[in-house]
Amino acid sequence: MTWISKNWTMTGIITGLMVTLKHVLHIGNRPTVTVQYPYERMKLAPRFRGRHAVDEDACIGCGICEVSCPNSTIRIVKYKGRWFPEFNLGMCLFCGLCLDACPMNAIKMDRGYELADYTRESLIYGPDRLLFKKEVNK
Amino acid sequence: MMIANAYELIVYILTTIGVYEPINNIFMSFGLDDILKIIIMLVEIAILFAFVLVTIMFLTWMERKVVAMVQSRYGPMVTGPRGLLQPVMDGVKLIGKEDIIPEKADRWIFTLAPFIVFVPALLVFIPLPFGESLIISDLRVGLLYIIAISAISPVAILLAGWASNNKYSLLGAMRAVAQDISYTIPLALAAIAVVLFTSSLSTVDIVNAQAGTWFGIIPKWFIFIQPLGFILFLIASIAEMGRIPFDFQESEQELVAGFFTEYSGMKFAMFFLAEYAHLFAVSGIIVTLFLGGWNGPVIPFIPVQITSLVYFLIKTYAVIFFAMWLRDTVPRVRIDQLLNLGWKIMIPLALLNLLITGFVVTAGVIQ
Repeated sequence: MTWISKNWTMTGIITGLMVTLKHVLHIGNRPTVTVQYPYERMKLAPRFRGRHAVDEDACIGCGICEVSCPNSTIRIVKYKGRWFPEFNLGMCLFCGLCLDACPMNAIKMDRGYELADYTRESLIYGPDRLLFKKEVNK
Repeated sequence: MMIANAYELIVYILTTIGVYEPINNIFMSFGLDDILKIIIMLVEIAILFAFVLVTIMFLTWMERKVVAMVQSRYGPMVTGPRGLLQPVMDGVKLIGKEDIIPEKADRWIFTLAPFIVFVPALLVFIPLPFGESLIISDLRVGLLYIIAISAISPVAILLAGWASNNKYSLLGAMRAVAQDISYTIPLALAAIAVVLFTSSLSTVDIVNAQAGTWFGIIPKWFIFIQPLGFILFLIASIAEMGRIPFDFQESEQELVAGFFTEYSGMKFAMFFLAEYAHLFAVSGIIVTLFLGGWNGPVIPFIPVQITSLVYFLIKTYAVIFFAMWLRDTVPRVRIDQLLNLGWKIMIPLALLNLLITGFVVTAGVIQ
């Protein structure tokens, strides 16, 4: 019985109701914070770490990224007569250690984050999907 | 000409168009004029139920929108304009779901329970005045009928909880019944205090007693004569509906979903619809008893049936919005607090309210 004798005026409830009403009517700085995801997207952070990309000209296929990866995500495979890393994104934890380890700064992390797929095999990103060519200013 | 209920309204409209006489003559020539009456009644009941079902679908959308606005979200936006067709999609999805009956369940009672919940939820609307002459039947015991019909739902909830053969369902059902019983008493006592003023249980008489104003400004609503009764009735009806400050029958964190844990598909949809039908009905009853029913300023050149319906719906939606708003604001109380509030505080206060009302009516202070 003590709980109601102390709060018999129910000011707590009325204060709470006023706060939620302000949210409903957007009084003060209370905007809608969510976005309509498939139609509009959140602004990504400037150093967002998404899907990997490998510079085709810079990569020397040394395998240091393979060694540095804590989850054994990376495997070095042969592609068009040269050695390139292959990322199994199903195991990747997007830590970015491969970027730090690369002696040629050939790996970068893209802004792509919609990586869901139907099979585990399709999560293995080979060089055919990872390579890009840097635009060279002449 | 005074039109008492929706039957006479339909007859009046048909007569005005000039269709009623020929149709009536055809039926009369076969000696079947009772059949015509039954057909007209079925039509009006069909209109009422269609209206109620559309309202329920709108309410599910509104509930999600209000929750979303309180939580700084958008809510349903994709299906239809502002997500208005979301309830239709939900209905299609629920019809498409598999209708599972647990192996150990009591099949007959398990199937019966959703219907016993759903039918009274619709029957409550029969003596509810939606507007001037927009009432299916002005029962002389209208208020008693409403309270009696709403008292069926705990039975159905107990049936559902028992037949599911699931501990969570049974616990939810037991709680729901304990809650319903302890809150029906203050609910009825608060309603009786209103009846003392009108000396009639008929809902139309109660609404008519609230017509007019004091000093030309304050409407003669019973909320101003009966503020304590209004608060008691509001709290008791929210508790009886099982909405959030008192939603013990389905408290998700403790019992999975309460008495409809085991239900799926269309049977679940019937519990869900009955809940919103109950919300709409209870809001309508609060408006009828305390907020002046369909009374409002008269607007010339528009039939009073339409304006009164609009006034009724505005007031009802205000009460519904309050219930949703409260749901999004207040956390759930404990079960012992709930029963303490019901038995130790609400019932004595309701009796006190009744006593004061009795003195006031006998003294003839307020006419």
